[in-house]
Amino acid sequence: MKILLMGHPNVGKSVFFNRLTGAKVLESNYPGTTVDFMKGWMRLEGEDVELIDVPGAFSLEPKDRAEEVAVKMLAENKDSVIVCVLDASKIERGLYLALEIIEKGYPAVVALNMWDVAEDKNIRIDVEKLERILGVPVVPTTAISGEGFKELVSKIKEAAPVKIEKIIESAGGRESAAVS
Amino acid sequence: MPLSVDARWDLIDKISKQTVEFGARKHTLKDAIAELTVKPLTGIPVAIAVIYGFWSFFCDFAGTLFTDGFMVRLFDEHWLPWLQSVFPGGLKNPFYALMVDAGHIEGGVLVASDNCFEAFGVLTSGFFVVFGVVLWAVLAFYLMFAILEDAGYLPRLAVLVDTVLHKIGLHGYAIVPTFLSLGCNVPGVTATRPLETRKQRFMMMTLLAIFVPCGAQIGIMQDLVPEMMGWIFLTLAIGYLGFGFILNKIVPGKSPELIMDVPPYQMPTLRNIVRKLWIRTSRFLIVAVPFVLLGSIIVGLMYLTGAMDWLAAVLGPLLMGWFGVPSETVAPLIAGFLRKDLAVGILGGLMEQGIMTTFQVFTSVILLCIYFPCLATFALMLKEENGKEILGSLASLVAMVFVYGGLIHLVGIMLGVA
Repeated sequence: MKILLMGHPNVGKSVFFNRLTGAKVLESNYPGTTVDFMKGWMRLEGEDVELIDVPGAFSLEPKDRAEEVAVKMLAENKDSVIVCVLDASKIERGLYLALEIIEKGYPAVVALNMWDVAEDKNIRIDVEKLERILGVPVVPTTAISGEGFKELVSKIKEAAPVKIEKIIESAGGRESAAVS
Repeated sequence: MPLSVDARWDLIDKISKQTVEFGARKHTLKDAIAELTVKPLTGIPVAIAVIYGFWSFFCDFAGTLFTDGFMVRLFDEHWLPWLQSVFPGGLKNPFYALMVDAGHIEGGVLVASDNCFEAFGVLTSGFFVVFGVVLWAVLAFYLMFAILEDAGYLPRLAVLVDTVLHKIGLHGYAIVPTFLSLGCNVPGVTATRPLETRKQRFMMMTLLAIFVPCGAQIGIMQDLVPEMMGWIFLTLAIGYLGFGFILNKIVPGKSPELIMDVPPYQMPTLRNIVRKLWIRTSRFLIVAVPFVLLGSIIVGLMYLTGAMDWLAAVLGPLLMGWFGVPSETVAPLIAGFLRKDLAVGILGGLMEQGIMTTFQVFTSVILLCIYFPCLATFALMLKEENGKEILGSLASLVAMVFVYGGLIHLVGIMLGVA
């Protein structure tokens, strides 16, 4: 099993990578710090698992070199679990990539990173509900300070492929109860 | 069956309506700072202040405190005399000349050097360049750079310079590879990857390789000719923008808008700063030390075997006639293929011997910047560009060196200083 870290540029994938593997990848606060993939090893329930830090991508239709690398990494690692790292303060566009990955049949875990930034911006996300709709584990994280990592790692094993139709159903079925 | 783009957005809309709630936004201090740094009226003075602060720290910390205050004394007053006294051989012994001190002619007599710029030895000049000057410059640069990076200032700078850079077909994002290249061109070239079209990447790489001096080079130039730094940067900036403008006109392809996120400001963490400083400085040492030492050996051997004199004689007319620099400049130019910092160091040795006028020093420093990227950068460009683009980059290089170098000479002649 392999784990791929995927998400938009500058959502903190490299911070995840360094935290989880203890490796030394450059982290910066601007998009495009990682333009090539990085591999490392992490311990998952007593097992050594390969973790790959994939360059940031907005979608799976590549528009630049870094996105090409990202799409290629995904295609080459059919047997992997994808940790979709989202910017919790810009959750909608992050979900786009996450849905694309889920549609392709990869088991996924969603990390709502920059949780602190979202709180600053007064954005509240109903994590449990999101988890119910998507059918994949959703974990709020603040990578810089390390919050939420333990939970994230413990949920990786729970990731399983979800049919997109099922997500549509659970999203649509509750529409009447929308906007709380 | 995959969803269409619209269907996917519809789904996201449904999901977020049920799970996300946007509360009233408070205007925080962060927001206020963010606005101050991107609005042109306040942003430009802030940018000038930031760059001035960056430069002052670079000079004071690396130049004044470490190099002048400590390293120059250590190397010139202790390391060089000690080596001169204990190393077997002596002046005129080839191995001694190669490793410690080649000496120089003063009044027809070969005399020992009294500083590490002049000595030209692997253990003296080579070590001095790396550990006496450049290491501190690189450290100072990356410390400041890491703080700016982690705080999130660079994307704001990109927004500010976007208009100017668009005139030469580049996006404001180009400031990131450019700034990175001021530390080392190698990561700078890698950072061109988020640029969308091959045209933009080609232009960016070519401009970086020609006009952006690396931190190692800046550090040693600052030590050698501090009073000229303003003119040097101005000359390079004019070249960067001017040549960028021309390239944009003649290179086929598009320069589309690149939409970049401006991330929120963050307080840099000490942990990440220290780690980045360590990663980058150690990478620098791994690349720099072998190349500087190898370069010193090659240049030393070329002097000893007479190859350097032969080259100087062959290329002398061109150097003197077209660029207005003495034939001795051939030695730093050779070293510059491997390492620019070593090349400037050798130039420093020539300067100390008093065979160059101020304007010749200036021209040589500029030539060293623009005539060829260092070997490490060139190797990376070979990897990143296709065959046609490599030829294009090389052609641009040759054209640029002759046009710009000649132009500087011409300006010098007109001003009566060449």
